[in-house]
Amino acid sequence: MAAMKEIRVALTGNPNAGKSSLFNVLTGSHQRVGNFPGVTIEKHEGYIDYKDVRITVVDLPGTYSLTPYSPEEIVTRRYIIDEKPDVVVNVIDGTNLERNLLLTAQLMEMEVELLVALNMIDEVEDKGISIDTDQLEKLLGCHIVPTSARRKQGLDDLLDHIVSISDGHIEVRKNKMTFSPVIEAAAGKISELLGRERELESANHRWMAIKLLESDREVYSRVKQYPVWVKVELALQEAIMECQRLNSTDPEALITEDRYAFVRGAMQECVRQPRASRASVSDYIDMVVLNRVLGLPVFFVVVWAIFQLTFTLGAPLMEGLAFLFSLLARSLGPMLPNALLRSILVDGVIAGVGSVVVYLPNIVLLFIGLSFLEASGYMARAAFVIDKVMHRFGLHGKSFIPMVTGFGCSIPAIMATRTLKSRSDRLATIMTIPFMSCGAKLPVYVLLAGAFFPPAMAANVMFGIYFLGIVVGLWTAWMLKSTVLKSDSEPFVMELPPYRWPTFASVVFQARMKALMYLKKAGTLILLAVMAIWAASNFPHSRDLDARLEREKMRIEASADSPALKSAELLRVNSKAQADQLEYSVAGRIGKIIEPLIRPIGFDWRIGISLVTGVVSKEVVVSTLGTIFSIGRSDSAAGGLTSILRSDPGFSMATALSLMVFVLLYIPCIATLGVMKKEIGSWRPVLLYTGYVLAIAWSASFITYRIALLIR
Amino acid sequence: MKLSELKEGDRAEVTSVGAEAPVRRRLMDMGLIRGTELEVLRFAPLGDPIEIGYKGLLLTMRLKEAEGITVKKLPVLENQEPAGGTLSRILNFRRG
Repeated sequence: MAAMKEIRVALTGNPNAGKSSLFNVLTGSHQRVGNFPGVTIEKHEGYIDYKDVRITVVDLPGTYSLTPYSPEEIVTRRYIIDEKPDVVVNVIDGTNLERNLLLTAQLMEMEVELLVALNMIDEVEDKGISIDTDQLEKLLGCHIVPTSARRKQGLDDLLDHIVSISDGHIEVRKNKMTFSPVIEAAAGKISELLGRERELESANHRWMAIKLLESDREVYSRVKQYPVWVKVELALQEAIMECQRLNSTDPEALITEDRYAFVRGAMQECVRQPRASRASVSDYIDMVVLNRVLGLPVFFVVVWAIFQLTFTLGAPLMEGLAFLFSLLARSLGPMLPNALLRSILVDGVIAGVGSVVVYLPNIVLLFIGLSFLEASGYMARAAFVIDKVMHRFGLHGKSFIPMVTGFGCSIPAIMATRTLKSRSDRLATIMTIPFMSCGAKLPVYVLLAGAFFPPAMAANVMFGIYFLGIVVGLWTAWMLKSTVLKSDSEPFVMELPPYRWPTFASVVFQARMKALMYLKKAGTLILLAVMAIWAASNFPHSRDLDARLEREKMRIEASADSPALKSAELLRVNSKAQADQLEYSVAGRIGKIIEPLIRPIGFDWRIGISLVTGVVSKEVVVSTLGTIFSIGRSDSAAGGLTSILRSDPGFSMATALSLMVFVLLYIPCIATLGVMKKEIGSWRPVLLYTGYVLAIAWSASFITYRIALLIR
Repeated sequence: MKLSELKEGDRAEVTSVGAEAPVRRRLMDMGLIRGTELEVLRFAPLGDPIEIGYKGLLLTMRLKEAEGITVKKLPVLENQEPAGGTLSRILNFRRG
C-alpha cells in the first residue's frame, strides 16, 4: 500500500461554538490528550482517515479573539503562525454569527488557508434564520460548509473541502479587510518599514502592522529587537495622534470597530433573521435561576442535587459491585493451595483493588453531573450568582468552576484555573482546590459514614464533611489574598451562553473517559501501591511468632476441650498471631513510629499506615484499611470491611469522624502535588502548603475527635 | 453616565469603553464598542455583578468593570415590557 498522504488541520472558534463536539464526531476514538509545549492547556489531537488521506485534527482552545492577553489566545495564535497547519477550520456558531465572525475577520487578516464550518445549522434552521452562504463566501473569501456536530450533518462535506484545500483544488482567496483610512495609511507605512528589515522578510508585514497598531505586546517585543523599530515607533505615535484627531479614539478601538463594521455589513447582506421575540426560553429560565430572591436557593439546590445523584443513586450500584468482589474472593480463596499466594491475591489484590473499584459508579455519576452543568450553561450562571461571595474571599466567580471540578478530581481542577488571568487569583484558587473534597476521598467517607452512622445520617455527615472542606478552603484563600497574595483582583467579564440540552452522546463520552481513567488508575498506580502495602505489612516475617503459634496450636490440640471449643480457640490464636506479625512488619513499625503523633486525634498505628499510603492516592486509604484490618480476621470475606471496622476495638464513631476530617484536609495525593508544582513553577510554595495542610488537618481532627468523645 | 449607575431595565448606548487594557480588550472582543445599544437585564442576587444584554448576547461583569464604560441613557421604548413580561413581574418581588 502506498504511503498515505498526511495533512494537519486546526480547529479554531469561540467558546461554546461546538468546536469540541465537532472534534469528537470527526475523530471518534482516535484521540490523544496532551499539553501545548510550555503550558498545561490541554491539547486534543486526533486523526481520521478519509479518502486515503490521514487528517490530523488539533482542537485549539476556544477564544473570542487573537490578542495576547490570555494563555488560550496565545496558544491558538502561536499554533497557527508557527506550526502552519495545512487548513485552519473556523467553527462558528450559526445562531450567534455577529460575534463569531469577529474571530473569522481576525483569521482572515492572518491570511491562512481558512475554511468556515457554519456549525449548529440545525438550530439556525429551527430559529428561522436564513444565511446566504454564497454571498458570505464571497465576502469572506473562503468556503463555508454548514455542519451540525450534534446531528452529524455536513461532516463528509467538511472533510471533502479540507482535502480539496490542502491539495490546491480549492483556492482560498484571502480577502483583505479594509480598515478606516487612518489605519490603512499607517498600516501601509509601517508594513513598508517592516519589509525593509531583512530578518522579518518572510513575516506577514501587514498583519504585524495592524497588530502593532492594536498595541499587541507580543509583536511589539518582536519588532523592538530590530533597528527599524525607531522609525516604526514614530509612525505609531503619528497614527495615534491622527486617530485621535480624526476619529476621536485610539487605533486599537478603531480597528475593532472597523472589524465589527465589516461583520455587520456582511450580516446585513447575507443574514435574515426573524425579529426575535422578546423573551426566549433561556430568558425565562434565567428569570427564575438568576432571580434576586430565588437565585441563591436555586444554586444550592443544584449543588445538593449533584450530591444526591452521586450518593443516593450510586449506593445500590456500589453495593452490587462490592458483592461481586466478595463473591470473587470467597470462591477464589479455597482454590488456591499456597497460603502466601492466597494472601497476595485475596487480601492484597482483590481486597485492595476491589475496595477502590466499587466506587466507580459514584465517580462516574459525579462526572456526569458536572459535565451536565458545564454543557447545559448553568455553570456560568453559577459563577455569576456566587461571584460576590467568592470576591469577598479574594477569589473570582470563575474560581468557582475549578473549585466545583475539584469535587471530581483536583488535577483537572488545578488545570482549569488557567482561565483565571491574574496570577494571585490563580494561586489562591489552586490552594483552595485540594480542600474541595475530591472523588478519591469519597470512598473513605462512604466507608466510614456507612459503617458508623445510620443510613439516614450518613448522607448528612458526608455533606458536613464537604461543607467543612469548603469553609477551610475559602478561609485559606482569604488568608492568602489578604497577606502574601495581596494584589488587585482580576476583572470579571463573562458571557452567559444560551441554555442547551447536552447531547446524550457527549455526556456518555465524558463518563466513559472518566471511568476508563479511574479504572486505569486502579489497575496501575493503585495496584502497585496495594502490592507494596501488602509486602510491607507481611515482611519481615518473624520465626519466633511462628514457633509460638505452633506451640499454642499443639497445646490446644492436646487439651481435653470439646471439638467446637477447640476450633474457636484455634481461630483466636491464629488471628492473634497474624496481628502480631503485622505489628512486626515494616508497615507495623512505621505505624508504631508515627502513632504518638496521631494518638491524640484518635488513630492507632494501623490507621497511621493507611494515612501514609494514602498520599499515593486517597482511595488507597480504603484499600490499606481493607488489607490491614482483614489480616488476622477470619470473617474478612463474609462481612466486608464495614462490619470488620464496626467490630474492631480500634475504631469508634469518634475515630471515624476524626479520620474523615483528617483525610479531607491532609496532604493532597502525589499527582496533585506534581500538578501544583507544575502550575506554580517551584516546589517551595508546594512544600510550605503541605506543612500548612498537615497542621490544619491535625488541629481540625483533634477538635472533632474531642467533641465527638464528649457527645458520646 | 457610567454603566454601573444604570438600573434594572434601563436602555443605553455605549459612548466609550475605558478600563485597563486587558479588560477593555475583552469587552471590545465581546462586541461592546462605541454605539452598542444595551439593556440592563439584572443584577446578581447579591447586587454584584451586573448582567447586560445586547445583540442577542448576555454579558456579565462586576460593577467595578462597569464603571469604566460610559453610556448615554436611551428612552424606554413605548412597548417595552420588562424583560420577560408577566413572569418577570411576578418573580421580581422586591420591585413590586
